[in-house]
Amino acid sequence: MIEMLLAGFTSVMTIKIILLIVMGVALGLVFGSIPGLTATMAIAICLPITYGMDPIAGMSLLMGLYIGGVSGGLIPAILLKLPGTPSSIATTFDGYPMAQKGEAGKAFSFAIVSSFLGGLLSIIVLIMIAPPLGKIALQFGPFEYFAIVIFSLTLIASLSGDSLPKGVMAGLIGIGFAMVGSAPIDAFPRFTFGFSSLDAGFDLLPVLIGLFAISEILLVAEKKYKNKLKVDIKNISYKVTIKEYLDQKWNFLRSSVIGVGIGILPGIGGGTANLIAYAAAKNASKTPEKYGEGIPNGVVASESSNNAAIGGALVPLVSLGIPGDTVTAMLLGGLILHGLQPGPLLMQNHGDVVFGIFAALLIANIFMALFLFIGMKGFIRLLSIPQNILLPIIITLCVVGAYGVNSRLFDVGALLFFGVLGYFMVKFKYPLTPLVLGFILGPLLETNLRRGLMLSQGDFMPFLTEPIAAFFLLVTVASLGLKFYSGWKKKRRLKVY
Amino acid sequence: MKKMIKKVLFGALLVGAVAVMGACSETVEGTEKDSGGKDSSSYPTKPIEIVVPAGAGGDTDLNTRTMAKYLEKELGTTMIITNVNAAGGTTGTKKVLDSKPDGYTVLSYHNSTLISKILGLVDYTYSDFDVAGMGVMDKGNAFVVNNKSEFKSLDDLIAFAKENPEKVTVATEVGSFTHLQLLAFEAATGTKFNIVDVGGASDKITALLGGRIDIIPTQLGLVNSYVESGDFRALGIMSDERLKAAPDVPTFKEQGVDLVMDKFFFWGFPKGTPEEIVDTFTKALEKVVANEEYQKEMEGFMVEPVYLNPAEANELMEKEDKFYTELNPQ
Repeated sequence: MIEMLLAGFTSVMTIKIILLIVMGVALGLVFGSIPGLTATMAIAICLPITYGMDPIAGMSLLMGLYIGGVSGGLIPAILLKLPGTPSSIATTFDGYPMAQKGEAGKAFSFAIVSSFLGGLLSIIVLIMIAPPLGKIALQFGPFEYFAIVIFSLTLIASLSGDSLPKGVMAGLIGIGFAMVGSAPIDAFPRFTFGFSSLDAGFDLLPVLIGLFAISEILLVAEKKYKNKLKVDIKNISYKVTIKEYLDQKWNFLRSSVIGVGIGILPGIGGGTANLIAYAAAKNASKTPEKYGEGIPNGVVASESSNNAAIGGALVPLVSLGIPGDTVTAMLLGGLILHGLQPGPLLMQNHGDVVFGIFAALLIANIFMALFLFIGMKGFIRLLSIPQNILLPIIITLCVVGAYGVNSRLFDVGALLFFGVLGYFMVKFKYPLTPLVLGFILGPLLETNLRRGLMLSQGDFMPFLTEPIAAFFLLVTVASLGLKFYSGWKKKRRLKVY
Repeated sequence: MKKMIKKVLFGALLVGAVAVMGACSETVEGTEKDSGGKDSSSYPTKPIEIVVPAGAGGDTDLNTRTMAKYLEKELGTTMIITNVNAAGGTTGTKKVLDSKPDGYTVLSYHNSTLISKILGLVDYTYSDFDVAGMGVMDKGNAFVVNNKSEFKSLDDLIAFAKENPEKVTVATEVGSFTHLQLLAFEAATGTKFNIVDVGGASDKITALLGGRIDIIPTQLGLVNSYVESGDFRALGIMSDERLKAAPDVPTFKEQGVDLVMDKFFFWGFPKGTPEEIVDTFTKALEKVVANEEYQKEMEGFMVEPVYLNPAEANELMEKEDKFYTELNPQ
C-alpha cells in the first residue's frame, strides 16, 4: 500500500502535473467562490482539455478542480453570507456573524484549517479502507434511504431558529417546491399548469442562490441608508491559538465522520453533509444558543464536513465504479474517456492511476489550504469595496450561474422568484434553511418511498423491519423524544420558579 | 424610510417580472423561426451547440463527446456540449426543438425520444426533427445477473418466472428503453416480472451488487468490468448476432427468444434547418464513422460505429416507433 502510494507520488511529482494541480485548485477556488458556478461546471468545462493528456495528468487536474471547487465556497459564505456552493450553506450561519464582529480573519483561519483537515482525513480513509466502505454503501437500498431522509428531516427542528412551527412550515414549502415538475419514477408532470418550462421543475442552484444571495442583496440594499457596514480591515486579527484549535477536536472529528459517511452514500453529498454536521454540532453543544451568533464551532462543523464528503464520494467511485454525486459522475466520465474502465477492477488493473489520483488529491489539498491562507487578506479586502459596486456584480454572477446550470433562461426567472420569496421569508422571520433542506430531501423521500413500495410489492413492513432502516427510524424517534422531553422539563421548571 | 422600502420592493418585483417575461419570451422567440443562415454554403462559421438531454458521464454523453471530438476536426469548428439532464430528457429535446433552425443547435439522443411521446409525456417525436443521421449503435443490450444467481440461461429464467409469476425482481427506470425491453420480453415469453424502478445505469449496478434485485437489463459496455471481476454474469443480448467484443455472451435469439432491440443514437436539427446545412453535418458524420481511430475508440466502449444516413435513420425509427407503440407501455 505504502509502496503503491509512493509510486503514485513519483508519477505526479513532475513539474507539468504539479502545475496542472495548482491550476486546477486555483480555478476550482474561483468557481467555488462565485455563487452559481460550481465544481461540477469547472470539471465539465475542463474535461475536454484533458483529452490530450495521459490519464494521470488529466485526472490530477480534475482532482485539483474538485478540491478547489468545494473549498472556494467558504470565501463568499464568510464575507458576504452567500453560499458559493450548496456545500457551504452552513458556513454562512456563523462565518458571516463572525465577519460582522470583525473576526473575519479568525473565521477564515478556522474554516481553512478544518477544510484542510477534513479533506485530509477523508482522503486517508479513501486510501486505507475504500473497498470495505464501498461494500457498506451497497447495503443501502430504498428502505434505508427513506429512513435516513426521515432522520435528516427532523434536523429542521435544530435549524429552525426561534419558532419550530415556522421552521416546519418552511420545510414543507421546500418539499412543495420540489414537487413541481416531472414526478419521480413515472415522469408525470405535476403542478406545471401547462407551462412546459416547468416540466423540469426547479433546479437546486437557482433556488439556493435565490434564497440566500438575492434575498440578502435585497435586504442589504434596503438597509443601505440605515447603517453603513464598517469593518476596520487593518485591525482584523487572524490569530487563532493552538488551544482554540484543540478545543474543536471532537467537533471536527464528528463533523468529518458525518461528512465521510454522507459522502459515501450515492445520491446525498456535501450539500446535505454540512447541514447535518452543523445541526449535530449544535445539538451536542452545551451552549446551542450561541450557534448562529458567530461561534467558530459552526464554521468548523460545516467546513470540515463538506471537505470530508469529497473523500467519501470518491469511495464508491474508486472501489465500485459508482458515482456518488454529479461531480463524481463527471469524474467517472473522465476515467472512461481516458480508456479506464471504472468498476471493481479499477484498483487492480490501473492501480498506478488510482494511486496517482490519491497522490494528486493529497497535493491538491495542501495547495488549497496554501492558496486560501495566502489569499485570505486579499479576500477580506472585498469588504472594503463599496456595496453599491459589489452587490450588482454579485447579482450579475448569480444570474450567469443560474443560466449556466442548464443554459435555460427559465432558471434565471426562478432565481429572482426565490430571491423575492427569501426576502419576504426573512421579513416575516421564517428560517430559510429548512426550506432548502426540504427542497433537497423531499424528492429523495418520495422517490425512495415509491421505489421501496415497488420492491416490496406494496408492503410497508420492510421500512420498519430492515435492520439499517429500523435503526435510523429508532434514532429519529429517540432524538425527537429527547427534544420533547427536554422542552417539557424546561417549561415545568419555569412554572415552578 | 418606509418609502425607501417600498421603492426597493417595487424595484425587486419589477426585476422579477421582467425576468419572468424574459423566461416566457424565450419560447416565443423560438417559434419565430427565420429561414436560417443565408450563407448556408459556408456553414459552419461559429461554434455548434450539441444538446445532450442526459447527465454528464453517462453513455449518451460519452458517445456524443467522442463523436464531437472527431466532428470538430471534420467541420473545423468548436463543438459545445450542453448537458440538459432533466425531466427524462424531454427538457433538452424541447430546447433543441425551440431553437433557431440555423444549424448551430443540434440534438444528440436516443430511443427515449420515441418513448416519451408514446408514454404521452410530450407531444413531439423524432419526426419533428430534421434528422441528420446516426453514428453509433449499442447492440449489447443484455440481461445481467449477479454471479450468485441461480439463473444460468434465459431458459432457467423463463421456467422459473412462469412457475412464479411476479416473483422475479427486475430493475428498470420506468419509461426508459430498458423498461420497454422488459415489456417486450414478457410479451414474447408469456412471463410476468416484478418490475421495479431503481434509477439510472449506475443505480442498477448498485442494486445488483447489493443483492436487492434479481436481474438488471443494461448495456454490456457499462457492466463489462463487473463481468470480468466475476461479480456479474450476462444471460444474453438482444441483438442479431453475438458481439465481437463479447463472443461468449449468447443472443436471445439463440436461446429461443425472438427479440432484437438495439439502442441507437441519432442527431437531429430543429425542423426547418436548411437542407445544405444538414447535409454538411451528415457528411461529416459519415467521415467520422469511417475513421479507424474513431472506430477503435468506440469499440473500447463496446458499442458499434454504424453510419446511417437521414433516410435510413428515419426508416429505422419509424419501424421501432411502431414496435414500441404495440408494446403499449402505459
